[in-house]
This record gives sequence, C-alpha cells and structure tokens, in this order.
Amino acid sequence: MAKFREQCHYSSVLDSGYKILPFSFTSLDENRYVATNVAGEYIVIERNDLYDFAQHKLDNASEIYNDLKSKHFLYDDDSNVAIDLLALKQRTKLRRLSDFTGLHMFVVSLRCEHSCPYCQVSRANNDAMKAKFDMTQDVADKALAMTFRSPSPAIKVEFQGGESLLNFDIIKYIVQKAKQINETEQRDLQFVIATNLALVEEDILEFCKEHNILISTSLDGPKELHNKNRPRPGNNSYEKTIEGIEKCREILGPERVSALMTTTKESISQPIEIIDEYIAQKFNGIFLRPLSPYGFAIKTKFFRAYGFQEWLDFYFEGLEYIIELNKNGFFFIEQYAATILSKMLTPYATGYVDLMSPAGIGIGAVIYNYDGDVYASDEGRMLAEMDDKSFRLGNVKENTYEEIFTSETLLDAIEESYTGSVPMCSECAFEVYCGSDPVYHHATQKDFVGHKPSSEFCGRNMSIFKRLIDMMEADAQVKEVFYSWVRM
Amino acid sequence: MSSEGTATVSFDSSVFDLDTVKKSAYKFSDLVSFDIRTSKNEIVCELTLLDKKTTDSLENIVKKLKNEILDQDLRKKIFDETEIVRNVILAHVFSNTGLQDG
Repeated sequence: MAKFREQCHYSSVLDSGYKILPFSFTSLDENRYVATNVAGEYIVIERNDLYDFAQHKLDNASEIYNDLKSKHFLYDDDSNVAIDLLALKQRTKLRRLSDFTGLHMFVVSLRCEHSCPYCQVSRANNDAMKAKFDMTQDVADKALAMTFRSPSPAIKVEFQGGESLLNFDIIKYIVQKAKQINETEQRDLQFVIATNLALVEEDILEFCKEHNILISTSLDGPKELHNKNRPRPGNNSYEKTIEGIEKCREILGPERVSALMTTTKESISQPIEIIDEYIAQKFNGIFLRPLSPYGFAIKTKFFRAYGFQEWLDFYFEGLEYIIELNKNGFFFIEQYAATILSKMLTPYATGYVDLMSPAGIGIGAVIYNYDGDVYASDEGRMLAEMDDKSFRLGNVKENTYEEIFTSETLLDAIEESYTGSVPMCSECAFEVYCGSDPVYHHATQKDFVGHKPSSEFCGRNMSIFKRLIDMMEADAQVKEVFYSWVRM
Repeated sequence: MSSEGTATVSFDSSVFDLDTVKKSAYKFSDLVSFDIRTSKNEIVCELTLLDKKTTDSLENIVKKLKNEILDQDLRKKIFDETEIVRNVILAHVFSNTGLQDG
C-alpha cells in the first residue's frame, strides 16, 4: 500500500464542496462577527466572509476556510470526523448536568455583628435573635439527609450567614455528622465557611484544619473603603479581617483562605486601589463583582447607586490593569473573566451558577435556610427576605427530596428560562458562555425569562464577552495571559 | 418614510418571511415600539420611539433593523441547513447516558 494517497484524491475532496455545521453568530463591531459552534469554540469572521461561507462560496484554499474547518464550523469529505468530535465536546460541556446538585449551602445563623448597608439578610446579634434566627440540630439533620440524596459524586457544603461563626456549634455538628454519613456514601466531600473573620479564634481554625475546611471571607478593598462598606462596633472590620486572614494562613496554609469583594458606590472609582489591596494581602486573584439587586441592597437604594455602564467602566479599568500586571510577569487573575474564558478556551463547563443554562438554581446549588426552608439559590432566599418567596421550594421538615426537587416552582423557572428557547438568547453566539439567571430577571423584571434588550444581565455579559474576544484578537500576548488563567 | 418620532419601513415578503422580521424587531424593542402589518407583497413595520431623548436616532435604528433582518435571514438559512447534523450531534451527545427509552 502506498504511503500517500494520489494527488487526485485531494483535488476531488476539495472540488466536492463543504457542509456547514451548526453555529450561531453575533456582531462584534460594524464589520466583524463572532461565530460559535455547539461546543463553544469561537471564530471572529468578517461580514463578507460570513455571508460567503453561508452561501457555500468560500474558497477552500483560503485561510478562513481552514480556520472554520479546524474549529468545526464546516466539514468536507476530508474531515467528516467533525461531527463525532463536536458531539464529544458538547457532551463534556453538559456532563455536569447529570451529576445534579453539588453545592449545598447551610444558613446557620442570620445574626451578624456587622451592619453592612448593602447586606441582603443579616439580623442583629442578641439572645432574642439567637433563638429565632439560628439553625437547630433538627433542621441540620434533615438538611444533611437531603444533601446526601443528591446523586452528585462531589458534595460541597458551604456555611453561610449572617455571620456563620456566631453559630459555630452547629457547624461543628454538621461537619462531624456529614463525615459520618460519608463513611458509607464515599462522596468527594468538601466544606467551606463563609465568614467575615471578626470572630475567628485559634480553636475554630484548629477544627477547620482537622476537617480540611476552606475559609471564604469578604474584603472590599483598602482600609478606609472596607470599613465604610462594612461597619461594625469599633469600626475595625478591616483590621479584624486582615488579622483573620493571617491567622487562617498560619494555621490552615496559604491557599486555604479566599476573599470576595462587593462593588458599592464608594468602590466604583477605586478599581486599582481595590486590586492593589488584594495584591498586598497576597491573593493571586480577585472577583470584581457587582452588587446584586436583592434584599437590603434594594431597600437602602444601594443597587441603583451606580448604573451598569458605570460598573462596566469600573470592571474594564480593573481588567486592563490586571492584564498589564500579567504582561509584566506578575500572575494575577480576574476570576469572572477566568470563568468565562474557561468556557471559551476549554471544553469544560464551570460550576458558576449565574452562567449556567439550564439555570443552575436547585440543580447546581441549593440553600437550606436556618428555619429549614429550602431555596433554589442564595439569591432566592435573599428575595424571600423581601417577602418574595417565588424561589422557596419547600421545607426540610415538611417536604421530601422528591417534592422539593421536582416542585413546579423549580421546574417552571428552569424550563421557562432555558436560553436555548428564549427570544434573542437562542440565536446569540454567546449563549454557549452565558446563563439564564431566572432569579435576577424575576427580581428586576418580574419575569423568569426577562426582556433581553433591556436586561442589564444581558447587557453586562454581552459587553464582557465581546471585550474579552476583542482583546484576544487584538493582542496575542493577552491571549497568552488568558490561557494561563484557564490552565490553573 | 418618517415623521418626528415615527418611521415606516417595508420589506418584500418574497425575500424575507414574517418571522424573520418579527425576530429582528424584538432586538430593538427597548428603543422603539413596532406595528407590523402584511400588505400584498410587503411586510410593513411602523416604528415609534419609546423615548424621544434616546441617544440613538430613529434613522440609525432603521439602518440597524435592516442589517439585523439580513442577519436573521442568514440565521434561518443556517438553522434549516444544519438541522439534520444538529440532531445527529445531539443523538451522539446523549448516547450511552441511560436516558433513552427502550
């Protein structure tokens, strides 16, 4: 048998034309479009080339033809394995769905010694509130039983508040009981405590060390900004947080504590200062996130304290700064961009609930409130604090696992908001990277689906998707930086 | 054809179908309201600015609408042409998952 086929074989292949594989496209600017295939691979294509491609007029010797072929936008007689590859990649992206709920959040207390004006849920810290707003062992037992009904091979239990450490006894109880159950369940079991760290003590951290518990805290920026955003008696939230981070690193190890920030009106002019604070505190990344339109943030008018365009300006200024740091050899990640880039540059899905479709509510994450109420997401319980219980799925004391996870409340929200069948989303090139977020759209537009042309969720994410792609197209070094973020 | 705050634009119904025009209109529904009618061989759209202070001019919105209709028409062509392949890919994706009947 000859090593190579005759030259005429290749000529006949090229002469027979090409077939188009499923793809979506959205304009990037006046002349260029972003096209994505079902596996999330993208290509930037000139308007004329796009139309020629769709009309089967593309020259098979052109560079764009080969790009489209290599990224599975077309196939010819020489590349008909493309369908199998696309299916495999799409299957990898969807794999998380069959695992079902992996993140189980336990609200162990609504009490808090901080009084942050943007806080969604917290209550004053006193004995009367302790009796009323702390999780009991009975609720914890029933919530844990429900947690282990999830088929997910990986279970993450996250403790939330209020300030979760105000009810550390129940945290200890849940961790020990969960580990006991897991002796027979054999899941990949992880624990995270979300805490402001003001109350952290050595014995708490020794327990965390023994049980391999991660710490997630809040750091809004430099001292003055943080203390203004997060008031507490003594006006020393920043000092307490920094001291707590140091203690965590000393006892648990440097990688066992992470921080989140919230952007307030005070923050919006200080992206660089906030990032510098994270660098000074030796974090290797930051999640620049906007304020959510839920709970007290709305009541105290914080949500409308800045517009979404102002937030985008803040975000992009911060992102540009972080990219420059990386170009100069200092590795530092913007985590929201990294989540999106992971979808753009790898075949893997992420567990970030806001950017999932079908929506991640309930099926990606679920929250057990202090009183046993089960909500489809953390944001869903925040809405409930404003007397909107649209995302309350039931109560662990009254309902079975089946009743909660097949409730119409959950299924209707997921089905209606599925981006594959939503106006504008279904044909959008960025649908493969985006999410449906029915809680956000319900909170802002009183509709699970939402009117996308006026949706700030859509406007914000579209701007970010386009900017990330534009940056990679304009500068190969930026693309290298972005690849380094998703290889983590 | 336009007057202050309103504009009328028509499309040949032998070139574009009604769904294509409606989908395109939806994209601008935060800026203008639409009155869409069919008349003989035409699809007629009457656009009215929702807020006269909007930063985009009506003339510009009409131009963008025309381009969007071309894009939507192309999307429909691609969607129709790739329907079989799309179903084959989905069949591959869900094969061996235990989710099929029988």
